[in-house]
Amino acid sequence: MTDLVAILISTIVLGSIYGLVAIGMTLIYGILRVLDMSQGSMVMAGGFVGWGLLVSAGTSPLLALAAAFAIAFLLGVATQLVSVQPLLGRSGIDFEMITFITTFAVAMVIQNVALEIFGPRQRDVPPVIGGTVDVYRGVNISYQSILMAAVSIGLMLMLGIFLTRSRYGMAIRAVAQDISAARLMGVPIRWMFPLVMGLASALAGVAGVFLGAQLFASPNAGDLPLLEALIVVIFGGLGSLPGTIYAAYAIGLIQSTVSVLIATTWSLPILYAVILVVLVLRPHGLAGRPSEARL
Amino acid sequence: MVRVETPAAALRGADRFRVAQAATLELRGVAKNFGGLRAVDGVSLTIEADEVLGIAGPNGAGKTTLFDVVTGLTKASEGDVVLDGSSIAGDSVHRRCQRGMARTFQQPTVAASLTVYENVALGCSFGQPRRHWAGVDDLKEFAEFVLELTGLADKAELVAGPLTVFDKKRLMLASAIATGPRVLLLDEPFGGLNPDEIDETLRLIRRVREFGVAIVCIEHVMRALVQLATRVAVMHHGAVFFEGAPQEMMQDERVISVYLGRSAAKPPARGGDGGAA
Amino acid sequence: MRRRRSLVPAAPGRIGAGAVLVLLVALAPLVYTDQYYLGIVVTTLILITLNSSWNFLLGMVGVWNFGQLAVYAAGGYAAGLIMIHSGVPGGVALLGGGLAAALLSIALAFPTLRLFGIYTSLLTFSFAQVIQFVIINDNTGITGGPFGLPEVRGLFGSLSPLDSMRAYYWTALAVAVATLVLTALTIRSSLGLALRALRDSLPYGAARGVSPLRYRVIAFALSGFVAGVAGGLYTSFNTSIGPGVMGLTPMSIYVTMIVIGGMGTLTGPVWGTALVVAIQQALINHPGIQLTVLGAILLVIVVFVPRGLVGEVATLARRLRAWIAEGDGDEEAEEPELVADRPAEVRTVPIEPARSPEAR
Ligand SMILES: Nc1ncnc2c1ncn2[C@@H]1O[C@H](COP(=O)(O)OP(=O)(O)O)[C@@H](O)[C@H]1O
Ligand SMILES: [Mg+2]
Repeated sequence: MTDLVAILISTIVLGSIYGLVAIGMTLIYGILRVLDMSQGSMVMAGGFVGWGLLVSAGTSPLLALAAAFAIAFLLGVATQLVSVQPLLGRSGIDFEMITFITTFAVAMVIQNVALEIFGPRQRDVPPVIGGTVDVYRGVNISYQSILMAAVSIGLMLMLGIFLTRSRYGMAIRAVAQDISAARLMGVPIRWMFPLVMGLASALAGVAGVFLGAQLFASPNAGDLPLLEALIVVIFGGLGSLPGTIYAAYAIGLIQSTVSVLIATTWSLPILYAVILVVLVLRPHGLAGRPSEARL
Repeated sequence: MVRVETPAAALRGADRFRVAQAATLELRGVAKNFGGLRAVDGVSLTIEADEVLGIAGPNGAGKTTLFDVVTGLTKASEGDVVLDGSSIAGDSVHRRCQRGMARTFQQPTVAASLTVYENVALGCSFGQPRRHWAGVDDLKEFAEFVLELTGLADKAELVAGPLTVFDKKRLMLASAIATGPRVLLLDEPFGGLNPDEIDETLRLIRRVREFGVAIVCIEHVMRALVQLATRVAVMHHGAVFFEGAPQEMMQDERVISVYLGRSAAKPPARGGDGGAA
Repeated sequence: MRRRRSLVPAAPGRIGAGAVLVLLVALAPLVYTDQYYLGIVVTTLILITLNSSWNFLLGMVGVWNFGQLAVYAAGGYAAGLIMIHSGVPGGVALLGGGLAAALLSIALAFPTLRLFGIYTSLLTFSFAQVIQFVIINDNTGITGGPFGLPEVRGLFGSLSPLDSMRAYYWTALAVAVATLVLTALTIRSSLGLALRALRDSLPYGAARGVSPLRYRVIAFALSGFVAGVAGGLYTSFNTSIGPGVMGLTPMSIYVTMIVIGGMGTLTGPVWGTALVVAIQQALINHPGIQLTVLGAILLVIVVFVPRGLVGEVATLARRLRAWIAEGDGDEEAEEPELVADRPAEVRTVPIEPARSPEAR
């Protein structure tokens, strides 16, 4: 029973944070057809912002989160402008593959600039908020985790409301569904793309502050979240927002179960094994639909 | 350089091409669903070796999809495809090709990084029913025959990617012929060509027919279809609703109404008949 | 009697220049004996072999395989284990590594070839991650987990350090040259014809009788074998191998090498690898700056020189020749370039319409 509660709580916490990182990747893929490999470095950047503000400057946690959001947003916009925007509409290239490589290159740059500035040392980021609460016979949950889940869920809800209710959000969804129709209706497409990538990166940046506290801030702190987010987006079918959220919690559940019942080290390999099986059985992801060749 | 040195080589190649055993292709209730859309809706047709079956119908009628199903590019939702009395529905695309079925595509599709000669050699080396080519010389002989036949001999060494639409379409046909087909499926071979090019393609297809190859030809251009086909099937909404001689088709009320009441002799411009789909 | 003609005309001038270059490189260690730099050349040659095998799949077969480092590592571990646990000659261990890698590559090919586009990269990338995690977390003692294999006897244990270095140098050079020659021959053979046709358009190739599965699995096997031999060489030369040969960082460096040189070209990986190694050496004391620079170069090359240096030079040379021919009033048709040196830009007939957002 304690195992069950532990798994349940861990699922919600992990799933929420995965969702926060992965939803950005899905959003970018759905709109730009770019699998953004720089999202991991946004998480990493968020971690360092959290460390810098909370430890060195001693600012309030809320400010740290807001700063991470803003800085990652700018980084995301910059990334889009150098690695995706110049390739838009270029003929004779495999756009998805080329941007896979260019965003990867940006990640390389960001990560190694961080290495040059901060060095390879792992930095402890203090929890945004301290203390734990005993939920059920020795199963503890930290306030930090509760806040993390709450902020993640809150941000995902806000994103949902933004996409379905606001002018810009509806423009973004219109672009995702039919780019030429959206253009005809006067959506300024060129400006949608950096905005979307900035927004997605900002979410990853916020996740980075929490993850930094969970683990460390270090130049390669983004690698693991990136790999986990990749698993989530494949599992959820690239480009499907609801699919991604389900997948985030499903992956969280698998990982929590493996961690609690077997060992934490095995959770990622087992996830990858699950993904291999999923891709072999459903070559286009769980929710994705095959598009057949037309000649 | 590949040069077609002797007509003799081409003649020997021609001997190889002559179809020894005529083929019969049968479609039995073939259907294809894309989600809720029934793109092909229970088509049954028989194609004999000595005929040219024309398939007409407005855009989106399901003609290309029918070819895709017959050649194995997409799996049929229902029905069976039978070649010489045995079902080929379970065969892969390349198996079907090796069993004597070759097709061209609606879009001019060739291996863009290969030369013209290599495109033809590809069909010779991989598309033959059995790899019965004794050697490179034999392959070359046949390839040269095909290049000569299709009028591409002097372009043999050019890379296929930058070719004109007409050359690409001829090359697509050439590499199909190179597989030594008994049934040839042509998807809009005249689409996008000017009148001279259409005439030349017509001549070419007639030549191919003389070798005993059964031909199925999708076409919008009624003039070409009427000149070429011995029998015509007209499709609409995935189903064949007319089957008969080309002359009958021109008088058929339903055919005329499907083409939006315009004269069947002057079919609507391609792509401009969206309302009919 | 007719001469057997290859399907792609050869370029004698280029072959001659290549032979001279190889000869010069081969003679170098006789006069130059700095072991540090000779060692770097050996490593470069091993990477050239690896990158050529990878480039064969990425550029020539057109499969976006990001699992090649796992295959390379498998070859390295297999060769190392053979050397540790048996007394067979080193060459046999290398072949064993190649075979093990080829088997793993074939195992990877079957699920991979069912997929299209970005999912191909994701599957192969995941595959490499799983292999790395399994090795790092292996506590059976077979692979040595995170620490790698224990000391492996190398290929040339009995020689003096300098002679041993020279022997590795020539071995690695021979393997790299053999790889390039075999790649060139393969790409001109009818197997190469089939693979290039499938790359240009899968439905077209299949409709002309080419089995997409069979021939591409063969390509995976060949590529895997070469990568495995490279891995075996790595293990023997370094007398060890660990899970660090895989992972994001090495992958990003090697991808940079291939892309800079020109993906899908025969000699691109050679120049790309050499260039990147040179940059790394120049910045050896600044690991952070090193990768920042490489990342920036990768970005610039992909955006501005998408066909890589070799692809760009080939195009320039062709333009120049055409221009000269025109100037002379020469009627002769433009000489067809070595097809293997024409990069993947030719994929103008994609299987699915290019889905760049502007084109959607
Ligand atoms: N891969 C596919 N997925 C979904 N719908 C398709 C696909 N291919 C064709 N269709 C639909 O099937 C119908 C028939 O198309 P097609 O066979 O190309 O017609 P035709 O060749 O007669 O113009 C069209 O409505 C088309 O949109
Ligand atoms: Mg059609």
